[in-house]
Amino acid sequence: MPVFRWGQSWDPILDLEREVDRLLQGMNLTLQGRSSRRFPLINLLDEEDFFLLTAELPGVQLEDLELTAANGMLTLKGVRKAPPEAQTESFRRQERFQGDWQRSIHLPDRIDEDEMKAEYSAGVLRVILPKIAGSVARSIPVTDGSD
Amino acid sequence: MDDSDKTVPSTAAKVQPTAATVGDRPPRMLFNPPIDIYETNDGLVLYADLPGVTTEGLELQVQDNRLALFGRVGNGQTGRAVLHEEYKVGDFLRSFILSDEVDHENISARLNNGVLRVELPRTQRSEPRRIRVSAE
Repeated sequence: MPVFRWGQSWDPILDLEREVDRLLQGMNLTLQGRSSRRFPLINLLDEEDFFLLTAELPGVQLEDLELTAANGMLTLKGVRKAPPEAQTESFRRQERFQGDWQRSIHLPDRIDEDEMKAEYSAGVLRVILPKIAGSVARSIPVTDGSD
Repeated sequence: MDDSDKTVPSTAAKVQPTAATVGDRPPRMLFNPPIDIYETNDGLVLYADLPGVTTEGLELQVQDNRLALFGRVGNGQTGRAVLHEEYKVGDFLRSFILSDEVDHENISARLNNGVLRVELPRTQRSEPRRIRVSAE
């Protein structure tokens, strides 16, 4: 959500709003958006038949990425290496996350763990988590136990 | 190289997404990507995190002494039930003032797994040349 917004806007004002908003985000003044220091940022969507988890993981090598699901928890884990040939003292600016990271998220429903799929492209990880089809309610016969 | 985020860059204004108010959809978000800049023997190297940006969606331009990067991200997730949201989908924009030390003609860039790497080589300092002064 933009943090800087007033009433109805026409185009030049909208541009200004978005520009101011971007500056505020750049200064980490916003409570929403990208000010979080967490890495990676995760979204979870309900797609009826499956859940879709997306994570912003730019610059991660697949061999440095580990994905596990157990007991209703999905865990992503990996390492993001520092740029090559960069020495700590040679940085003029260092804003990008580097190092080991781990994130876990509770899955809201039962998942068919055998059918999970994940793909990584353009720095975004997408995990498809198929739901287990709801079982048909079975009626339980009740017998008279008073005999 | 200075970060010029304080001013609205004139070159970047051109690459502003124009589809911001198409239809009933909410305007696209615009984000400031996190960057690293460090020095090497050959010059400067810039890294920017642009998750969701492919080479087709990336515009990088140098005009005068300003380097502007704009990354367009594909459509976000609309009309689905969001259970958990830590980030919004939007485009990326940032611009920088290049110092005279940077050889503007030989800037090269590469986009890999949503990370942009820009090499900004240092200009070769020319040797001072002695100018012979002759009397009229």
